[in-house]
Amino acid sequence: MSNNGAYPIVTVRIQRFNPDTDKKPYLQEFQVELKPGTTVLDALHEIKAHQDGSVTFRRSCRHAICGSCAMNVNGKNELVCKAPLKERLDRKGRVTIRPLPYLPIVKDLVVDRSSFWEQYQRVKPWLVPPENIPEKEFRMSPEEVAALRNAETCIMCGACYSSCQIIALTKEYIGPHALLKAFMRVMDPRDAIPGERLADLAGGDGVYRCRTIFNCIDACPKGLNPTEAIETLRKLAQKRQAFEAARAERQKRLSEPIPSP
Amino acid sequence: MDHNTIVHDIVIVGAGLAGSWAATVAAREGVRNVAVLSKVHPLRSHSGAAQGGIAAALNNVRPVPGSGPEGPLEQLPEGADPVDSVELHIFDTIKGSDWLGDQDAIEIMCREAVDVLYEYEHMGCVFSRTPDGRIAQRRFGGHSAPRANYAADWTGHVLLHTIYEQALRHGVKFHSEWYCLDLIVEDNVCRGVVAMDILTGKVYTLRAKAVMFATGGYGRAYKITSNALANTGDGVAIAYNAGIPLMDMEFVQFHPTGLYKHGILMSEACRGEGGYLLNKNLERFMQRYAPGKMELAPRDLVSRSEQREIDEGRGIGEDGQGIWLDLRHLGREKILERLPQVREIAINFVGVDPIEDLVPIQPTAHYSMGCIPTDVNGQVLADANGAPVVGFYAAGEVACVSVHGANRLGTNSLLDASVFGRRAGHAMAQFVQSGAVLPPVAGDPAERNRRRLCSLLDNPGSELVEDIAVDLKTTMTNNCGIFRHAEGLKQALADIQALKARFKRARVMDKSSRFNTDLLAALELEHMLTFSEVIAATALARDESRGAHYRTDFPQRDDSRWLVHTVAHKNGEDGPRLSFKPVTINWEKYPPQERKY
Repeated sequence: MSNNGAYPIVTVRIQRFNPDTDKKPYLQEFQVELKPGTTVLDALHEIKAHQDGSVTFRRSCRHAICGSCAMNVNGKNELVCKAPLKERLDRKGRVTIRPLPYLPIVKDLVVDRSSFWEQYQRVKPWLVPPENIPEKEFRMSPEEVAALRNAETCIMCGACYSSCQIIALTKEYIGPHALLKAFMRVMDPRDAIPGERLADLAGGDGVYRCRTIFNCIDACPKGLNPTEAIETLRKLAQKRQAFEAARAERQKRLSEPIPSP
Repeated sequence: MDHNTIVHDIVIVGAGLAGSWAATVAAREGVRNVAVLSKVHPLRSHSGAAQGGIAAALNNVRPVPGSGPEGPLEQLPEGADPVDSVELHIFDTIKGSDWLGDQDAIEIMCREAVDVLYEYEHMGCVFSRTPDGRIAQRRFGGHSAPRANYAADWTGHVLLHTIYEQALRHGVKFHSEWYCLDLIVEDNVCRGVVAMDILTGKVYTLRAKAVMFATGGYGRAYKITSNALANTGDGVAIAYNAGIPLMDMEFVQFHPTGLYKHGILMSEACRGEGGYLLNKNLERFMQRYAPGKMELAPRDLVSRSEQREIDEGRGIGEDGQGIWLDLRHLGREKILERLPQVREIAINFVGVDPIEDLVPIQPTAHYSMGCIPTDVNGQVLADANGAPVVGFYAAGEVACVSVHGANRLGTNSLLDASVFGRRAGHAMAQFVQSGAVLPPVAGDPAERNRRRLCSLLDNPGSELVEDIAVDLKTTMTNNCGIFRHAEGLKQALADIQALKARFKRARVMDKSSRFNTDLLAALELEHMLTFSEVIAATALARDESRGAHYRTDFPQRDDSRWLVHTVAHKNGEDGPRLSFKPVTINWEKYPPQERKY
């Protein structure tokens, strides 16, 4: 690669693996210039475009909303598009990029997220609305909306899932991402089946599998808290009938204006 | 039928709002075998990056009476006179389009907007709310009432997740990470597509009674763009190569607030909530260009104003190509509640917290007003006379209905994708259920495409794909940008010819069949070269200025010659052959006027 001396050269170590040709994964070193503002994704791009086009990774939006580029950088899961390269270098000027752990590798930094999406679908991520649909919108208070914020901004990147020690042991566990989605539906005053959801989530693969190790919180690039959502679901599951009754009561007023405080 | 062929009733390419809406509607209307293929996982689609809102005249809020155009909003009191109407939304959209939008289509979009919004809400979409529990609304550029319905500043994200969930609920089959290679059209009948399963590299023919393109836009043909890396206009080029014309390709929207040097979108909601644009003298320069609307003038006008400030030496940043976005006066609470994503982006990518500091921004390539011509039901049109391509539909940014004409208003794209995606889904369901048969496919299109991929992979080549792409983006930015003139456009056409020649020597470094994104990058570049030529050629032909298309050598709008859509047909290896289609205008209600803000 060219270097006119303007920028320091740093080392990017990438875990390579093509199951069709390689026996096992190995680390390969590349050198890139550290320009101001370079992200880890920029470095991967530079390597792919000019040095080795076979280096393979997912990416799309490059500003932390599409969820494609979750990888493991220096042992921590994150979105590489918003990871500043400079801040990820060790004292020898190196960064190490591996695929998300505990998932089958498709190629290099691309993992197979099948189990992740199966669990997402299993919790019925869609809203099940009540029978009486109003002509206009259901009324929700700003506070009821705020209670969903911890879940609604989840981009399904998989950083939490693949940092979870329970997922490392068993893919039967629903996982933090899908439980967070389930939390969003259970907490939504418009959802008509919170009881059914809680019964399922309280089953063997659900909320009681979580050992509150908090890895998911550390891993989440959007600053969300799946553990707290799981804790809430546990509490609600214990008083499921009372919660269902309160929901039924709330749904009687879903078309009415929220009274002013 | 062999193992290289897959059959569905409906195949939709692209899983953003338009594609997922169409799939959901077709499936819930009873079509059994609906499949969506997408080169990225559906939830990675670029619809999810939209931020500020989706337009509909719901009349949930109004400006506090007597507070002026920049004053605060309040929920519309029970029984108070509404401040908005479908008619006003229609007029704003027509004026925003610089009278190039088809008014019948605009009317349908604005009328159905209200219903689409309530449908999203009933599906579980989480919107921000007024104190009494209605969907919250904010101001947006070019709209004369607050009608941008929003979820903080991640509106596209919540809409995308909501409609994808519905598609799953209704049993739509997704081919995730499949790349469309070809569209099969013979005798004006669409017969299917050819696509590659990216994971294995295997190429299949997908036959269907109806095919829909919802493949989005092409911002990646420019150096500075708000668009995702996936937005390479694949569907635009694939359709064009299959003989489908492209309409109004000269109209490319530049969004006024892309993050400086990155192009990442800083939502128009920043200005909708009251943000200012300042030049290097900290002057609100919009006073000079649109004193009535200031920062909330339409995007074409604001981007041109910024570019003038920059060109006249009043820009900011090391290269003078930036402008300041000032949100400080909105206050911490409002920014955290309504613009949290924008704040996070500014902190992550330029190290600036908008609560405390000015944010550097610049115009960024954002949206394609043109592309595949359709009627109001998503039916693709084969020519300027409106002949249909049987069984072929399109909606969303890849389609040109045309509701945006020469310039799109903010929040009308999520609306366009939703309304016309929904309509296309319904139209395809009716088509399939009214006895459409699976049209036969001649020859082996999959094999043809396999050979094309092999020749790309086997090319020893001396050119790097990335180097050609950078040169394309450079000429498109310099010559087909905000300000254009004949000399520059001719230069762009010459450059693109030279780049096409270089592409013949392009080298794909990755030779493997598994998840070969290096091969995809080459295909994407070929697509960009194809439609970029059409953009330059149509921009050269249109010797007037209208909406986002501004010719410094022809600065006036010329309704006597150019109140028409440009329709570009592929013409062998020569440049496109152009024909023209009249704009649908309701001369009594919305006759063309001078466009002033």
